[in-house]
Formats: sequence, structure tokens, C-alpha cells
Amino acid sequence: MRNRATISLKKPKVRQSWSKYNLYSLSTQRDPFFSARTFFQQKWTAKSMLRAYHGEQVSEKQWQRMFSPRARSVVPMNTFSLAEDDGSAMSAGRGSGLEKPAQTETTSEDSRKPRLHGKWKEERNTPYTHMTFAPLERRLDTAIFRAMFASSARQARQFVVHGAVTVNGKPMRHPGYLLNPGDMFQVDPERVMYATGAPKDKVERRQGRVARKKASEARAAEEAAEEAAAAEEAKEEATKEEDPTKKESPRETLKALMAQAKAIMASSKDALPAKRKQQLRGFQKAVRRVLSRSENSTVLTANLEEQFSELTTLLKAKRAETKPAKKEKKEGQEVEGQKAETVEAEAKNNESSAAESTEKSESEDAAQKKDESGAVTTQLSEAFRQAIENPEKEVDTSELTDEEFEVLRRALIQMRDNPIDSTKPYATPWRPRDYMSAFATIPRYLEVNHNICAAVYLRHPVARPGFAEVPSPFGEHLMTPAFLWYLRRR
Amino acid sequence: MAQRIQNSLLPSLSSSTSTTSSLSRFSNTCTSSSLLPLPQPASRSFSTSGCRQTRLRRTMFNWLEGKGAELKHHVPGELNYLTHTNKPFPLNEQYRSEPILSEALRNEIYDRVIRKKQSVRGVSVEFGVDMRRVGAVVRLVELENRMRDQGKSLALPYARAVHEMVPTTPYVEGDRIRHESINDLPVHRLTDPQIFYPVSESREFNRFDAGRAFSAAPALPHKITSEMKEQPDETIRKITQGLSPIETVGKREDEQQVLLPADARIPHPHMIVNDRNRLTIGKTEPKEVRQRYRERLAQESERDQYRKDRIQQHLERTTQKVEPENSRFEFRFRDVVVSRETTGPTGRGHLAPGRRYGIPSYDRKKGEVKIPTRVDV
Repeated sequence: MRNRATISLKKPKVRQSWSKYNLYSLSTQRDPFFSARTFFQQKWTAKSMLRAYHGEQVSEKQWQRMFSPRARSVVPMNTFSLAEDDGSAMSAGRGSGLEKPAQTETTSEDSRKPRLHGKWKEERNTPYTHMTFAPLERRLDTAIFRAMFASSARQARQFVVHGAVTVNGKPMRHPGYLLNPGDMFQVDPERVMYATGAPKDKVERRQGRVARKKASEARAAEEAAEEAAAAEEAKEEATKEEDPTKKESPRETLKALMAQAKAIMASSKDALPAKRKQQLRGFQKAVRRVLSRSENSTVLTANLEEQFSELTTLLKAKRAETKPAKKEKKEGQEVEGQKAETVEAEAKNNESSAAESTEKSESEDAAQKKDESGAVTTQLSEAFRQAIENPEKEVDTSELTDEEFEVLRRALIQMRDNPIDSTKPYATPWRPRDYMSAFATIPRYLEVNHNICAAVYLRHPVARPGFAEVPSPFGEHLMTPAFLWYLRRR
Repeated sequence: MAQRIQNSLLPSLSSSTSTTSSLSRFSNTCTSSSLLPLPQPASRSFSTSGCRQTRLRRTMFNWLEGKGAELKHHVPGELNYLTHTNKPFPLNEQYRSEPILSEALRNEIYDRVIRKKQSVRGVSVEFGVDMRRVGAVVRLVELENRMRDQGKSLALPYARAVHEMVPTTPYVEGDRIRHESINDLPVHRLTDPQIFYPVSESREFNRFDAGRAFSAAPALPHKITSEMKEQPDETIRKITQGLSPIETVGKREDEQQVLLPADARIPHPHMIVNDRNRLTIGKTEPKEVRQRYRERLAQESERDQYRKDRIQQHLERTTQKVEPENSRFEFRFRDVVVSRETTGPTGRGHLAPGRRYGIPSYDRKKGEVKIPTRVDV
């Protein structure tokens, strides 16, 4: 299917896309000047503008078949006003007339007009003509775009055609599949990350190529030899890295680490990605260097909780107890509550992935790992408990605050969730593509879980007083003539 | 700044050209040069003609570097739309970006429904979240947990970024934050026309009567209406819990149910009862009101469960299950019904299978939908 969704600057058309060209079209968009034009011209212009956005990938005939002049709408009801009155007062006409509703608060009750804080809401019209293109929102490709899983409707369509989308767990290859209320659709998370992430630059692409090449070469090499070499290298590296760090005092390393972590967590708007990446790499390196000092060699690959505990114990062997204790006290409920689940799950993830990478390693290893992690966490919790019992043990608290600990922790989490990986088709660590936030909106008829890139189509979009659920860049001025255009043939 | 040849077909002549003529690089060189008030650089060494950047392109890149630059990256937790409001589209006043459920609220809903075994209806009322949304949240979180257990890769940084860009409804313990309106009344087709219905002044014309007028049903005798008026809650409860059948009007194809009042058609009719209790005895006996509400909620969920069970039993009664030996599969058969209900008034109803005499099948006709219309699990 040829992509006609090009963007011209001479005749700007707004498309279902997150590109900067489209953003510019959106910013320059004006309502056309209609007063000197015939009714037919008005309708034609309006519908051609709207169709460039709504279901541009759907042929006109197909769309005309889908069009329905009946728009779904709802009225939010106020149960309190329904309880107050059964509607008979209103039908009797009492309280209606010239009086303003705000004054006749208790006398006349209209169930259709919900009250807000004892006052009458201003009467708002239901924008029925804004629902003209509501039937197109049922399409699978459009729903994927609306759920923010793809950067354009065309891309969403491609995902469906290429088999990256499932509906109710079954692969669906028809972009024109009309979702039924309750249908759950899911896109492959990797594709979503690719679609919504910033693209790789030249250097990163090259890195990817090199990494792929290396990987293929490594695969070609003999497995046994490779394994042995890898083990040796790891040992060498560990020894190499140990030497310089031994000289540094733990306090200084920790300070440096904190500074790096803070730099990473700083959410400056115009941080250069390259610089950020450098920071991240540096931080990663520092963490690895510190962790390499530990006797426990699995820590580097093991889960986050373990890494964090190892870090804290290694860095401030003297005052390890006081700091985490504070943190534990303050954020015990919040942090643990929030992160415990993710951390647990991640631990499982990591374990499983580790198991995958070392396929030949027996199940004993996994069991060992589990035991170790369990031991570490119990150790940590014990340390916490001790520290809580006698917090005045070490008063050297001026070095690090709880926030700093939290920052370190968050930096570690971010590093784990969003690693640098040149094999990915998007720039790593993942960051949203430029101008994505200007288009970020999720309509209410979808319930989206972005972690797994799945969404449920709850119901058909509806109009309600003063609000239409169909996301559209066009106003009443164009919607109504377009609606009339399609109404003409029916 | 390296000078660039615009036409990619020409051999590269400028001093330091790389062969890439990608759009972004081209635009960058041109815009940066166009920003300068100096005479435009020549595209070739001996040419006096300027960089062939059109005026429109220039203005576009000027805008992107000037006003549009703030839209490039988002600040976490803030909306970053063109309009600086919650409306992402400048011309469409009727659309605004509505909050989505925050991660914490989503997890709390899942926790309430699955671990604490609270009813979907109660959770829906408590958080102001649509019942369908509650169900969807449970399904999605369940899937997420399963995927985590299986060690599948998730899009965590992406999810975090989206939640930073879009407004979210937070979860604050003990604070009643409503996510959306839960008592939406769908506008019925019968209420579209405006009807002039003369009623005697002495008669009380309530929402029940209005529904009957809209569906052209005869008015009820005074005896029944007065009974209904005495016990409005009980009347509505019987209807919504399926204890009394809904009256119908019309014959054969035109037969349709009488339009019910809004009290019975909203998703949470028990809230009206609660509000009525609050109005009448709320000030003197608040405990009693709460107690009644709890009882009613329990009754509702019990009734919902009963209905579900009935449907399940019916399904089991009408399905014949066959499981052959040494087979992985269980075959389920249901009797085919070709009747007026399944074929419909035109005889073309898709619920009834097979060909019907005198009624051509249009499945090969151009434009007939051949892609699946539903995906059953």
C-alpha cells in the first residue's frame, strides 16, 4: 500500500503522526475561511481536510460504508439529584420559565443537569458532529496509535501486517479488524520501544554493526575455547580492576558515585544524549569497579537488591548501619511497597535470563543464587533492624542523606531497566523520541498498560456534554460540514 | 560549515562532503546558514545562487528551533502541548487530554479485587472508576504478572516516559479521588425525537411515565403507579436485579422493551438508594445508612454471581463435550438453532448457520467484510 500520508508545507495537512513536520502543520493549522464559499465547497474542503487525518489509510468507499449518522453519547448522572426528585416537579413546569436555574436551586430538578458543589453547571452542548469519525476508532491500527504504541497510524498498520500484534492472545494480521468492547490487544514491546524511542545516530548504528559482527564471530569460534577464554578474561579483568580501586578510600568512591548518580538522575530538558550516555557509562563502570571488590562474583549479574546491598556494605563498612536505617524508617512503607514487587519480579527475570545465558550450568547454580540472594537480603534486613535498635552507634551521618541514598538507588534501577545495548534498533538507553510529548494523549475508551504494551478496548467512544472522546485536531467549524457531507448520501 | 550539493544525482563537488544526503543533515546545514543575516552561501564554488532552501522550509525550521523547541522534550509530570493547557489540539475545544490511571492506583485496584476479594462494583464506586475499566485493569495486571514470571522483556522506560507525559490520577490512601464519572446514562434512540405529550395537571408525571411516553406504551393504571411511587427503591431494585421482567410493546419485529427511567439504566442504581437514605435518615442515623449500603452492595454482588452461574449452567446444559481417547482435545458441540430469533426478520441473520432458501449469501460480494469480526479465546 502506497503511503500517501506525505506532509507538504504548501498545503499543510495534519496526519495521525508524531513527526515534527506534523507538529508544525498542527501549529500552523487555521480554520478555513468559509464565508465566501458555497455550501458544497465548504463541505468538500472540510471532509478532505478531515479525511487526511481520520482513517487516511482507509479508502473513501470503505469509510462511507462505515459511516453512521447516529453518534453514541452519554449523560453523566448525579445520583443525588435522582434521589431527591423523581422528575415530576420538572414535568409540572414548576421552576422553569424566566427564572435562572441558579436561583431555583431547590425547586426545579433536572436529572440531566448534574450539579457541581450545589450550583448548576453551565449548560453545555453535546458535540455530536465531533463523533463523525468515531467508527474508525474501532479499527485495530487506529487503536494501536491511540494507545501510543506506534508513532503513526501507518506504523501501527505495519505492526499489524508484520504480525507483531495479538488480539485476545491470538495473532491478528488485519489492520481493519474492528475491535469489540472488551478486546485486549497487545503489541510486541520491542517494537513499541523502537517506534516510540529516539532513533540511533550514526555512531550508534556503527556500534550495533560492530557488536553484531563480534557476536557472529564469537559464535563461529569453538564453544569450549570461547568459554574458557571468557572465564579467563573475566578473572583478568576483575584483577585488573581491583588494583586501582583498592587505593581509593571507600568514602571517596562513594562520593564520586553519588555525584555520578545525581548527574544521571538530573532531568534537565536539554541534556545532550551523548553526554548523558557518557555519564551513564561512567556510572556503570564505577559500580562495576566497586562490586568487583566483593568476593561474591555473581553480584554483577545478579539482581538489583543484591547489588545495592553489596554496594552499601562495600562502600561504608563502618557506617553502613546508620544510613539505610534512616531510609528504612522513612520510606519503609512507600519504597518497599512500590518496589518490592518490581524488584522481586526483576529478580526472577534476571535469574531466568542468567539461566538462559549459561544454559549448561546446572540447576544447582540457580538454587545457589537464590540462596545467596536470600542470605543477602536477610543480612541487610538484620543490619537494618540492628541499626533501628541503636541508631546512635555511629554519628558519622553528615556524609550522606537519605535522599542521596534514594538517588543512588534510583540510578541503579534506571541502569538496570534501561541498559545500554547496541543490538537494539533504537538509541540506548531508551529515551522518548523528540516531540512525542506534544501528541501524548490517551482517550478514555482504552485502558492501557504500557509496561506490557497491552490495552483493552473498553467501549465505543462516546460524546458527553461539552466533550467528545474522539481525538481530533479539528473543531466544530470543520466537523459539522464534514458530517453533513457524509450525511448527504444517506 | 561544509557546503552541500542539493541534488543527490550530481556528483559531490564541495570540499568535505560525505555522500550521505539525509534529510536531517541537509536541513541542519541549511537552517543554520539561513539563520545568519549574511548572504547565503553558494551551493557550488563558482555559483552565486543561494542555498535552495524554500521559504516554507526555512520558516518551519525556524519555528522548530524557536517556539517549537520547548515541545521537543518533556518535563516529567507536566503537560507539554502546543496550547499550554490540557488540550493537545489547538482548534478542537471539545477534546481534552483526560487523566489515565497511575501505576499505584492500578495496583491498588488489582489488590482490592484479587487479594482482598472485594466486589468490582464496590471498588468501582470507591475509586470512581468504571466497572469495565476495573475489569480491564485486573486482566492487564494479571497479564503483566504472568509476563514478569515468564521473564519476558517489558517496556519499563517507555511506560515511565508515557506516565510522565500524560495526566494521571494518583492514588492517595484515604483520599477519595474520582477518576471518571461512573454513572453515565447512554442516550437512547427513543429519546431523540421531541414529543409533545399532554398530561392532566392533577397527575404526577415522573421519569417512569416519561419512558413509557417515549416508547409509546400506554400509561399505567393509577393503582400500580401509586404503589411504585411508595416504594421507588424496591421497584428499581426488582428491575435491575432481573426479578421482574421488563414490559414490552409492539408486535413481532417491532416488539421492543419499554424505556426504563434513568434510575434503572445507570450502572450503579444502588447509589441512588444510598443517597435517598442519606437524605431521609442520614442526619439522625448515619450508621444505619452505612449498614444498609453494605448490605445492598453484598446483595448486588450475590445477584451478579447468581446470574453468572445461571449463564454458565445454561451453557453447560446445552453443550455436549466429547473427549476422544489419546486426544489432546475436547470437542464441544452445541445444537444449531434456525428460528425466527436467529435468522432475524430479514432471514439473513448471521446467528443461524447454513444456507436459507430464497436468501442469497452475499459473502462473495465486493466490500463484504471477510476479516474476522471477533476473536474468541
